[in-house]
Amino acid sequence: MPSGALLFQSVLLGILLGGLYALLASGLTLYFGIMRVVMIAHSAFLILAAYLGWWLHERAGLDPLLAMLGTVPLFFGAGVLLQRVLLTRLRPATLTMMSVLLTFAIALLIEGLLGYAFTGTQRRVQLGYGSASLEVFGARVAVVKLIAFGLAVVALGTLYVLMKRTRFGWALRATIQHRDAARLLGIDTDRVAGYGFGIGLATAAIGGTALSLDTTIYPSLHWHWIGPLMAIIVVGGLGSVPGAAIAAMVLGMAQSLLQIPMGTTWAQTVFYVALFATLAIRPQGFFGGRLAQRF
Amino acid sequence: MPSGSKVLKLAAVALLAVAVLAFPSIAPNPYILSAGVLVVYYAVLATSWNFVGGFTGYISLGHGALAGLGAYSTGILVAKAGLPPFLALAAAGAFVGLLAVPIGLAALRVRGASFVIVSISLVLILLLVFQSWSSVTGGSRGLVVPRPFQLTRPEHHRIFYFLFAGLLALAVLAWWLIDRSRFGLGLKSIREDEDKAEALGTATYAYKLIVFVVSAVFTALAGGLYALWFGDLDPVFQFSILTGSYLVLMALLGGVRQLFGPVVGALIVGIALEFFKVEYGDTPLHLVATGLLLALVVLFMPDGVLPAIADLIKRFGRSDRTSIREVSAAELREQRLQNAGGTK
Repeated sequence: MPSGALLFQSVLLGILLGGLYALLASGLTLYFGIMRVVMIAHSAFLILAAYLGWWLHERAGLDPLLAMLGTVPLFFGAGVLLQRVLLTRLRPATLTMMSVLLTFAIALLIEGLLGYAFTGTQRRVQLGYGSASLEVFGARVAVVKLIAFGLAVVALGTLYVLMKRTRFGWALRATIQHRDAARLLGIDTDRVAGYGFGIGLATAAIGGTALSLDTTIYPSLHWHWIGPLMAIIVVGGLGSVPGAAIAAMVLGMAQSLLQIPMGTTWAQTVFYVALFATLAIRPQGFFGGRLAQRF
Repeated sequence: MPSGSKVLKLAAVALLAVAVLAFPSIAPNPYILSAGVLVVYYAVLATSWNFVGGFTGYISLGHGALAGLGAYSTGILVAKAGLPPFLALAAAGAFVGLLAVPIGLAALRVRGASFVIVSISLVLILLLVFQSWSSVTGGSRGLVVPRPFQLTRPEHHRIFYFLFAGLLALAVLAWWLIDRSRFGLGLKSIREDEDKAEALGTATYAYKLIVFVVSAVFTALAGGLYALWFGDLDPVFQFSILTGSYLVLMALLGGVRQLFGPVVGALIVGIALEFFKVEYGDTPLHLVATGLLLALVVLFMPDGVLPAIADLIKRFGRSDRTSIREVSAAELREQRLQNAGGTK
């Protein structure tokens, strides 16, 4: 039986990890809600953002948190372009399947170009506060992990306010719920959908910055992220942002706790076990609504 | 009397068969021959993939994992249990077929998006398991599979070339039979509109599951044959998401609705892959090339090269469209939109 302090530490780390998962999964959920697109390239953009943070730190000595000021608008623009220029070109009848392939191709492109530009060497940002840690009731938590969690919480909070309190958020949610009806009400659904994709990709920029703070990065790392993230959105119910956030917290915590008896590699399988169990028992996910039942 | 186009088709198939069978005799050196084996292996895999992808329209990115499972099952049965190689191959095919049932049950209950997610997860989870479970699989050190024949290297390649070609013929034949059957019609109705198919009484869930298992068995047999041919398995290559994407690229490039589409795609992509390996070695550029080609095919040629060529011929030849022909849901939608635009 592991000691209480170790358990507490694991729970704490699980919450911190779950926060990051929740932020990234919310982006995936947005894409799915808007266009029924499973965006495989989401985690590739995440790694791209982490690399940009590392590169700016290496070249200009910029703190990755400052680099975010550049990467977030950049990724927002890329997301709008991705939706408006590429995804809308696909045939509506086969959109779900073909968009998977298209985003998969983009993920390969990003991975290949990152490998070409920066080689496959593992990289890590060396920060002054990188090794600092706080002591919380006997558990040691790295400051960078706290910063990453803080970023995730702020970003998710902003997203919540944006979706619930602004006119744009209403328009976006209307577009997700019923596109034709939204258009009848005078919403420019094409533009709103584009912006929605931009916001989704912006979460990848924030997540990537958080990731670069305390993780060693390499070009093929994104495959380790996309699996858990996709498991999270299925368990949470495709298209449901709160569902994804809850699933992210639960699964992140489970992963962190299972690392004690099983080791890091086997603990990762918890995502896939949860994915298969969800599809076998409750294929629409545990918090999904009307949308999830048909995909 | 058979029509002109039918004769032409039969002649093309015969020509293809002759070309495939003659290749080992005209291959100038063992390297070219081994590349040929690899291309035929890819052709089998792509055709097996097309059972699911072509008929039902469900895109699987995880067929590489099924091939890897077949390879490892064969390898473990030969190397650890001491079974005769081809008995082990058959057992591996049956085992993966059985395993495909629960996977399919979970993956196919809902629609395409979940299926894609499961197919990718399958690759990722199997990579984890096979790397970590080193007492059985050899872990990242790999698994050495003893060769079934005591032959020189060129002879070994030649025999396996014909074995793969035989498996390819079997897979193509099975695809052709399903294509002409009632079962195939049901599968295609799922591809075009699953709701309507279900409303008309097609047992969509059972249909999808059966064709997924068939596809898995063929994929596993190809993977097992690869294990016996190559003799050395590494989880990183066997459970690579890239293998799955190559198969999708081959089938789409050739044309998923065509019997020989995946074979043609495997020829093009397989040769391109070998060429890239020789020219650029192990740079990440092959990822860029694969990604670029896949994106271009998806955006501009989702029906593949064979239909594109057929269209070209049709444009120059006389129009001999019969009243009964297959129309995809996408084409119908386009027609409808055009008609609506015309009457406005």
